[in-house]
Amino acid sequence: MIKILIILLQLIFFIAVSPFISGVITKIKNNARMRKGQSVFQPYCNLVKLFSKGEVISETSSWIFKAAPFIVISSSLGAALLIPVFIFSGQTYYIGDFLALIFILALGRFFLALAALDTASAFGGMGSSREMFISSLVEPAACLVVFSVSLQFGSTNIASFSGMHPVSISSLVASFALFLVAIAETSRIPVDNQETHLELTMVHEAMVLEYSGKRLALIEMSSYIKQMIWFFLIAQIIFPIAVPCSINTAQIIPWCLWYLARIFMIAGAVALAEVSVAKMRLFRVADFLSFAFVLAIIATICAILGV
Amino acid sequence: MEHLNIDSLFLFDPLSAFFLCVIFLISLPSAVYSIGYLKGESSGLKTALAWFLLVLFLISMGLVVSVRNVFVFLIAWEIMSLVSYFLVVFDTKHEKSIQAGTIYIVMTHIGTAFLIAAFLIMFKYAHSFNFAAIKSACSLMPPQTRNIVFLFLLIGFGTKAGIVPLHIWLPYAHPQAPSHISSIMSGVMIKTAIYGIIRFVIFILGVNSSWWGVLILMLAVISCLVGVIYALMEHDIKKLLAYHSVENIGIILLGVGLAMLFISMNMPYLAVFSLIAGLYHLINHAIFKGLLFLCAGAVYKATETRDIEKLGGLIKKMPQTAVYFLLGAMAISALPPLNGFVSEWLTLQAFFLGAFSVEGGYRLFLGLCAAMLALTSGLAAACFVKAFGITFLAQPRSRYAQNAKEVSLSMRAGMFFLSFLIVVFGLAAAIIIKLLAKVASAATGINTSSMSFSLNNFILSPQAGKGVYLSTPLLAAVLATLGIAGFAIYKLVNREKAVIYKTWDCGYYKLDSRNEYTATAFSKPFRIAFSFFLLPYRKTQKIRESFYHVKSFAYETHTTMVFKKYIYEPILGLVFRSAKFMRKIQPGSIHLYLSYIFVTVLILIIFMRKF
Amino acid sequence: MQAIILFGVLASTYLMVIAKRTPALIRYFRYQSFFLFLATFAVAIEERQIDLYIIAGLLFVIKVCAIPYFLNRIIKRMKVSEDLGLFVNAQLSLLCVLGFTYLSWVFAERILAPRNEAQAIMLAVAFFVVLAGMFLMVFRMTALAQIIGLLVMENGLFLLASTVSGGMPFFVEIAIFFDVFVSVIIMGFFVYRINKLFTHIDVNKLSRLKG
Repeated sequence: MIKILIILLQLIFFIAVSPFISGVITKIKNNARMRKGQSVFQPYCNLVKLFSKGEVISETSSWIFKAAPFIVISSSLGAALLIPVFIFSGQTYYIGDFLALIFILALGRFFLALAALDTASAFGGMGSSREMFISSLVEPAACLVVFSVSLQFGSTNIASFSGMHPVSISSLVASFALFLVAIAETSRIPVDNQETHLELTMVHEAMVLEYSGKRLALIEMSSYIKQMIWFFLIAQIIFPIAVPCSINTAQIIPWCLWYLARIFMIAGAVALAEVSVAKMRLFRVADFLSFAFVLAIIATICAILGV
Repeated sequence: MEHLNIDSLFLFDPLSAFFLCVIFLISLPSAVYSIGYLKGESSGLKTALAWFLLVLFLISMGLVVSVRNVFVFLIAWEIMSLVSYFLVVFDTKHEKSIQAGTIYIVMTHIGTAFLIAAFLIMFKYAHSFNFAAIKSACSLMPPQTRNIVFLFLLIGFGTKAGIVPLHIWLPYAHPQAPSHISSIMSGVMIKTAIYGIIRFVIFILGVNSSWWGVLILMLAVISCLVGVIYALMEHDIKKLLAYHSVENIGIILLGVGLAMLFISMNMPYLAVFSLIAGLYHLINHAIFKGLLFLCAGAVYKATETRDIEKLGGLIKKMPQTAVYFLLGAMAISALPPLNGFVSEWLTLQAFFLGAFSVEGGYRLFLGLCAAMLALTSGLAAACFVKAFGITFLAQPRSRYAQNAKEVSLSMRAGMFFLSFLIVVFGLAAAIIIKLLAKVASAATGINTSSMSFSLNNFILSPQAGKGVYLSTPLLAAVLATLGIAGFAIYKLVNREKAVIYKTWDCGYYKLDSRNEYTATAFSKPFRIAFSFFLLPYRKTQKIRESFYHVKSFAYETHTTMVFKKYIYEPILGLVFRSAKFMRKIQPGSIHLYLSYIFVTVLILIIFMRKF
Repeated sequence: MQAIILFGVLASTYLMVIAKRTPALIRYFRYQSFFLFLATFAVAIEERQIDLYIIAGLLFVIKVCAIPYFLNRIIKRMKVSEDLGLFVNAQLSLLCVLGFTYLSWVFAERILAPRNEAQAIMLAVAFFVVLAGMFLMVFRMTALAQIIGLLVMENGLFLLASTVSGGMPFFVEIAIFFDVFVSVIIMGFFVYRINKLFTHIDVNKLSRLKG
């Protein structure tokens, strides 16, 4: 019973903190642009606003459009369940491992792309085509990063991954590759622009163009959660810290703070990357992702050599 | 020829039982489906002929996987090929069927020729056609002969399985056959070739060179990638599915090749594990590919066209077929918690676990193969988003799709059974792995009584101790709970009804089906990203009335069929040219022909004394 | 006695090869079969077996009487030219056939390993007759010549069989006789039909039918 409570607590922590990360990134970007910009709690306000609005549903769509947001949020939350946040005694690793996490995220993406095609608008088709293109090119790099990481840590179980282990060149390179992958997966510049209003340059936003109101809130929520998941994975590879295995209040608070600190560092790096480069043309994203793949190969070679 | 009695003829070890199970699991729903499919297609006599051929086909496939005698195996193999040829050209109204049948029969006989050569070499050492005798003789063969026999068997079975570059008949034959036959051919017949590889190479020949496993792994990776990239470019539903069969055979062979690699390196646990992954994907693919072909047939029957560019909006007109197709698409894209996910996860785990135990260069090779497998599953998901989305979602793009109606009960029953199996094979993964462990141990001859492919209340942990876990029922339960929780929260918060209105059209009020995204447009990023392999070219044609006024403009874009153009057409050209050259010795004069015989006899007499 | 018979067979074969007209060919074929009959009859008297008597009788009836009569009738009914088209003229044919005689002598002597001198000569003659039959088939233009060439080959094989193994089993002989008889009838019929359709029996011209 305690275990289930702990799992629920971790999940709520995840849900509660993830929009904040997004707000922090936007704040840093605005500061870099010498603007005051939105407050860091703006994503929460956006979500509340969306939850209170009504919806408009396209007449050409079917039950897939109506059901997709629920499937997307369940897949993101399901992936979040596998990630240990502050206690690892929940033993949620019985559900799946690192590879299963990637496939669960794929489930959400599949249905979101289908829902985009369901609306019979050209924007949806464009968005889903580009999203599937980018995500399929992300897969080999992500898989190879998982491979090199598991070569170091002994198995693909997230439990083995959450212990203390020395930082090696292989994990540095792997984390950089994963960083590039995370940029692609969370739709950040240089792959996709979350602030654009031009449909021809959108990838993720074009897919959710037809959504409004509460369903849109759910989809936004799930993208915040996915972003937090990726940041956690990168942080755990670069700054590994042993996750506590028992409920010891003295350990939890500092651990949470350290956890958040690492995530903020990664978020800061992402924000600085966003302001420094321009968005790439879609067909250059293929080059970008193959660069990530090459980095992952280098990480694997380093892991094999034991460096 | 030794005594053939029933005992020495049939062999029902776990491997054969498994394949028989695969055959009948797929054929029964397809047979039920064909009741509705063939209704009204042709005369009573032709329908009876179709049923007769189907039964003969099933019997021959059953014989192929269960006999113990090489000679009877070949006979059953040949019957299987011939009957499937007749089934492919069954619809003789279309001349494409005839062309497809010709390509199919030529390729399959080339493969059979290599098989016969391999079997003759084996016979020479064993002096018997019995599997047991051949198995003991094969251990005495010199290494060169073993390599040659392996290559012949690989080419022979590879032609039937559809390994690149011998896959060329698949995209012709599978679309032209009637849909229930396509599902049986794609789901079961090409798997008998995998049975052949497992039985003859792993069980009988015995693997002790590691380059065999490496070769199969490389061929498998190439098949995966080539199959899925060509599938992305296709807009004929059944051709798309046929290319996906090529890809999935590649995935199955990844498991089989890994097993061979590990056998040659003396790692029995990993070998059995990889073979389990391969066999699991085999039966999964049979199920979901069978289902997808049946759904494609339902779409064809309802709308009279296979071109997805002309379809759309079928989810409202054929809701049940849409659900079955969606389940099949989810399974083939390896989405949790269905069966495709489990078998791909197992294959990836086999790579990862193997990488812990091999040395340096092999580690990188296994890692790259795993990355390519991940790439193909991503591309496959993209392809099925396209296939399902363009066919079933949005608005109808032509009147074919507008006039569609849901198909008959028997067809739906067949599809329902297979979708049910998809869910069962996904959720019951732990039990199935236990069964497959027995099959794999029988296939490789390794004793697994001391190994544990253990389970703990529906959790499968392939290497208890290293602690990797996957539990599909738990996963399904978690996802379902979270989804329902989300829906509950939504309903709680929801005060007003949603407004139904038109899609956002930028203020231009005349949106129709021509504004939707097309399949060609969907796959354009892939066409450009893989253009080094696809070699796309375009043809444009302008018809002008005057220099300033273009009356019409036609634009076509094609991808070059690389294998056909650079491998097969030169070979065929060479064959035809040499045949023309040989024609000169036959001018039609009887005297010349008789003199050939006469001169031969004279030469034999003259030179007889030398012998 | 043996020698005379063998010489007769040899001579009639030479005559067949240099024949220029179809009735002549048939006549020489009749002589060859007659000599063959004499050989078989002599052996039958020696061995005193009923089978051999019957075979000799059949030989006489079918090959000496029936088949030549039948072939002559065809020629009369068809009213075609009696010219037996020769690809190689008579003198060159004779030279070739002499070469074949030497060849078959060498063949019989060295390779077939005969038991004694007499058997060697018989083997040589038999083999030569087979070769001569083949020669007739290849180097004569009309269809009738090909039928006769086949019959000559069969004669040669009969001689070979009776030399090497003392004749083939009785039923085999009977069967062969019937086969030969029936096939001649059928071939004759076909030649008649060819003539009716094309108004000639020049087989060489049939190559124009090639597509």
